[in-house]
Amino acid sequence: MDVVVCVKHVPDPETKLKVAASGKTYDPDGVKFTIANTYDEATVEEALRMKEEFHFGAVRSVSVGPSRSEEGLRATLAMGVDEATLVETPPGTVLDPMLVSRILAVVIKDMPHDLVMVGKQAQDDEAGEVGSALGEYLQLPSYSFVTGLTPDAASHRLKMRRYLEGGEEVFSGPFPAVISLQKGVKDPRTPTLPNILKARKKPLKKIPLQEVLSKMGNMAGGTTPTSDIASFALPPPRAGAKIIEGQTPDEIAEKLIKALKEEAKVL
Amino acid sequence: MAIDFELSPEQRELQEMARRFAKEEMAPKSAECDKKHIWPEDIYRKGWELGLLNMNIPADYGGTGLGELEQCIIIEELAYADGGMAITFGVNCLATQPIIIAGSPEQKERILKPFCSTFNIGAFGLTEPGGGSDVAALKTTARRDGDNYVLDGEKCFITSAPHASLFTIFATVDKSKAHKGITAFVVPRNTPGVTVGKDEDKMGQRASSTGSIILEGVKVPAANRLGQEGEGFKIAMATLDSTRTPVGALATGIAQAALDHAAKYSLQRTSFGKPIGEHQAIAMKLANMVQMVDAARLLTYRAAWMRDQGKISTLESSITKCFSSDIAMEVCNEAIQIFGGYGYMTEYPVEKLLRDAKLTQIYEGANEIQRLVIARELLKRYA
Repeated sequence: MDVVVCVKHVPDPETKLKVAASGKTYDPDGVKFTIANTYDEATVEEALRMKEEFHFGAVRSVSVGPSRSEEGLRATLAMGVDEATLVETPPGTVLDPMLVSRILAVVIKDMPHDLVMVGKQAQDDEAGEVGSALGEYLQLPSYSFVTGLTPDAASHRLKMRRYLEGGEEVFSGPFPAVISLQKGVKDPRTPTLPNILKARKKPLKKIPLQEVLSKMGNMAGGTTPTSDIASFALPPPRAGAKIIEGQTPDEIAEKLIKALKEEAKVL
Repeated sequence: MAIDFELSPEQRELQEMARRFAKEEMAPKSAECDKKHIWPEDIYRKGWELGLLNMNIPADYGGTGLGELEQCIIIEELAYADGGMAITFGVNCLATQPIIIAGSPEQKERILKPFCSTFNIGAFGLTEPGGGSDVAALKTTARRDGDNYVLDGEKCFITSAPHASLFTIFATVDKSKAHKGITAFVVPRNTPGVTVGKDEDKMGQRASSTGSIILEGVKVPAANRLGQEGEGFKIAMATLDSTRTPVGALATGIAQAALDHAAKYSLQRTSFGKPIGEHQAIAMKLANMVQMVDAARLLTYRAAWMRDQGKISTLESSITKCFSSDIAMEVCNEAIQIFGGYGYMTEYPVEKLLRDAKLTQIYEGANEIQRLVIARELLKRYA
């Protein structure tokens, strides 16, 4: 059993974003990037846990993005992934989730892949489309929002869990398959210092985007993005809070009720 | 290009890992450990699993095998969350460094491997009740007895002693020889005659433990002697040469935390109609603080880099330790001033930083000794 995990290098959730000059995305200049998308990290953890529990072959990680994405892949290697592949995009490349899925499909087809695992969405664009689209392009079944899985090699089926509002669903389906994962029960492991050092020596292959696009052949959708971003805007800044002052608690409460009724009109 | 201020991707990854550990594991427990004087074994154990406890020990013997610069980068991050916890991680390196410096391959194999393979704490026994800085005058004796030495004496203010399973002890084989009589030994805690004093209550760095080691007729096999008789002083000094710079990193981490708290607060707190950071009185303080922190970090990196390059860094590591710990005190003091009355309250984080910073001026060679070393090294250039 070999596993491929797809990861995306995304901005740190605490970093402040600015709109890029194009008006269609954020400006990556000066942005602090996390090691990897939080859902992808959870996915790597689940893949490694399965590898340890069921003695899988290899776990490989794949990323599509600019050269800085190497850092995200190194982090997966430090966690315990065996090999990594980066489809390196030149600066200014515009991608969309569907094109990313096609690129991933081309690369993954050349790798052993009993299971293809992705985080349910990226923290930056939150599109959540890659799991399903990748299933389509690889012509494999895809399962979404999975929180944990157990493979049964004999029946070639996966037993999967999925959290629902107030409950949990257990279901099964055949593999090879593409699984998009919700954050699991277990927190992702912190890489140990020795493993961070060892990760530097593990194989990390870089493939230029153009090479992958040239292999795409007549895949539906082709080598250009399917969707187009019209504009990108940051949420409007929140209006300042109002501090209600007064001499006594009663007076403050009275003013608060008045403000809630007359200004906020919520009472 | 001969000089480069950029950390390598690997160093940034190590830094990121340490920062995350500090933020997620250490910081949430820092205030409670300080208040209740708790030695958080779970954090140290987890740190051991991640390779933070034996960073200096070569990988061949089960440690992480990091260079001095990487150790400093990590220690600063840990100290940013809690100085006491950071020194506990740091002191394991101090305790085992004499073995790395002077131990034979057989000693390293026999002592360091089992030390690293399970969770173990080490302590460095140099300071005595009668004095710390005047190393040549130490009173603990080692008397040769066949294949053994018999150790008698007392060590005090030993970081981590209450929890340590292994001590490196400095004792004299001949008091009349002063520093030429000092000899280093590895003493397992469970050796008969070893008693460890209580965990002392102290002003700051309260997540660490400090205690005395009493040695009464302690029989140590000669196989546990590091180097030759009389080489102990040299070993102790070489050890401190390599651990002074990480103390600078630790002080820098505390100072950076104080600066961050103060800068954030100065944007939130308003007086006379604007954030206090916009008043020149506060702005000037912040400008001074950031200069000091920046300089401390650069000194730390330089001294660590020199050591990693195999250069002698006695002067530079002393400058680093002395400067960084002095500015940590000053930056924390100013942070309290910026917080005003709130800063003096234990509910706010900055008074603890000052208490933590104070110890960095005292341990691993008091700053007065550092200044003597600095002056001596300086004057050598003019002699």
